[in-house]
Amino acid sequence: MKYAQLIRLLVNRELTLRYKRSVLGIGWTLLNPMLTSFVLWVVFSFVFASRLPGTQQYAPYLMAGILLITFFSQGVTISAESIANNGPVLTKIYVPPQVFPISTALAGLVNFFIGMIPLAFVCFISGQQLAWTLPLVLIVGLCLALLTAGIGLTLSILYIRFDDMRNIVNVLLMILMYFTPIFYPISILSPNLQKIIQLNPLTSYLDIFRWAFSNNASVTLGDWIFMFTTSLVSISIGTFVFKKYWPRTVAML
Amino acid sequence: MSVIQVKNVNLTYRVLKNRTGSIKELFRDAVKGRVRVLDYVALEDISFSVDKGEVVAILGRNGAGKSTLLKILAGVLPPTKGSCNVEGKIAPMIELGAGFHHEMTGNENVLFYSALMGRDTNHVKNRTQAIGDWAGVSDHMDFPLRTFSSGMIARLAFATATDEQAEVLLVDEVLSVGDADFQKKSRARMNEMINGGAAVVLVSHDMNAVKTLATRAVWLENGRVKMIGNPAEVVAAYEAN
Repeated sequence: MKYAQLIRLLVNRELTLRYKRSVLGIGWTLLNPMLTSFVLWVVFSFVFASRLPGTQQYAPYLMAGILLITFFSQGVTISAESIANNGPVLTKIYVPPQVFPISTALAGLVNFFIGMIPLAFVCFISGQQLAWTLPLVLIVGLCLALLTAGIGLTLSILYIRFDDMRNIVNVLLMILMYFTPIFYPISILSPNLQKIIQLNPLTSYLDIFRWAFSNNASVTLGDWIFMFTTSLVSISIGTFVFKKYWPRTVAML
Repeated sequence: MSVIQVKNVNLTYRVLKNRTGSIKELFRDAVKGRVRVLDYVALEDISFSVDKGEVVAILGRNGAGKSTLLKILAGVLPPTKGSCNVEGKIAPMIELGAGFHHEMTGNENVLFYSALMGRDTNHVKNRTQAIGDWAGVSDHMDFPLRTFSSGMIARLAFATATDEQAEVLLVDEVLSVGDADFQKKSRARMNEMINGGAAVVLVSHDMNAVKTLATRAVWLENGRVKMIGNPAEVVAAYEAN
């Protein structure tokens, strides 16, 4: 593909540029989820740690959640903004505009995989072993990248059209975060609330991720089906909406 | 054989009358029944073609549709009606350096800009030093672009954009890059590319440049072609207008 090289450069830029002027550089990618998780662990471990079933451990439970939600919400916001931010380029040089959201999703995927190094470390500290199902996290990452890219593509059109879209999206993302069992075990909720949480696709992604990584959650076949369908539906809607509305939207850049 | 073939191109922008920039406003106006869509015609029934080695200049006042036409030629804007066929590699020299990033080094920017133009970066990697030399910024190539002066950025952008022979050159007032020395150099390079068989579309307000460079001129007024033909005649008519 002609634009594979461009995507590689974009991913590279996305990964290095954020920490370009810092001493640690890309080391922040390793440190960031650890620090966030540590703070939340200090705050919440008293409340929630004893509520996890069986041999599940709170520290890796929490950190897996942080990694996944960071991937998702950063990916969605950055890829949605990427088209508007690259407007000056897109109105002068012909580049398939989709390369920008796609590169962002891929950069998020790389960050996600890098973040698994400290996660493995935390697993060992809390006395867990990595599960033999570990390679399956690749599938979770890919599905999440598709989900993110799809939503990002749709939103990027809306971002250009409506100025207040990013505020709305930020609020929605925050609500979604609380409706995902990141720092609380789902079992502490009432049965009705649990059903609502299960409707959130990210719950399935997260459970599969925790289970595949260190057997730190239980997973049903339904979770897998839910994950595959949502990622495929998201990327299909995203590409369709983008194709349909881009010609009209580019005139607004 | 024409490299650029523009046939009956129309371009209509859809504009909301009360310029609703947010969902809140759109909702408010929809409730009050005040959403009205206006069609703004930017280009109407434009047809022309450009052959190999030809230089076509586009004249017209501000807002006549020159930049819109260039965007259509660059493939950035799809025409509402009609067709626009451009064959071969395009070097869009429209506001050069649009893809430059201030935190990346000169070398990285050259690579990135080339990739945006669809060039093979493996090939460009061996060329970055030469590009930097030609632009006269070779000792800065390893520093972030924010340490460059604006003239240096413009020179680097020009050097990158013209480093590979393209079949189509789209030029928007970039003949005045840098100091007098560099202008001479850049003109020579433009001529080189034209002689190398590039088809050129040039938007300019500099009538002397149009008369000396162009082989044909197109005069746009309010989105329509007012006159097309010999540059000297078109320029004379345009200036008399």
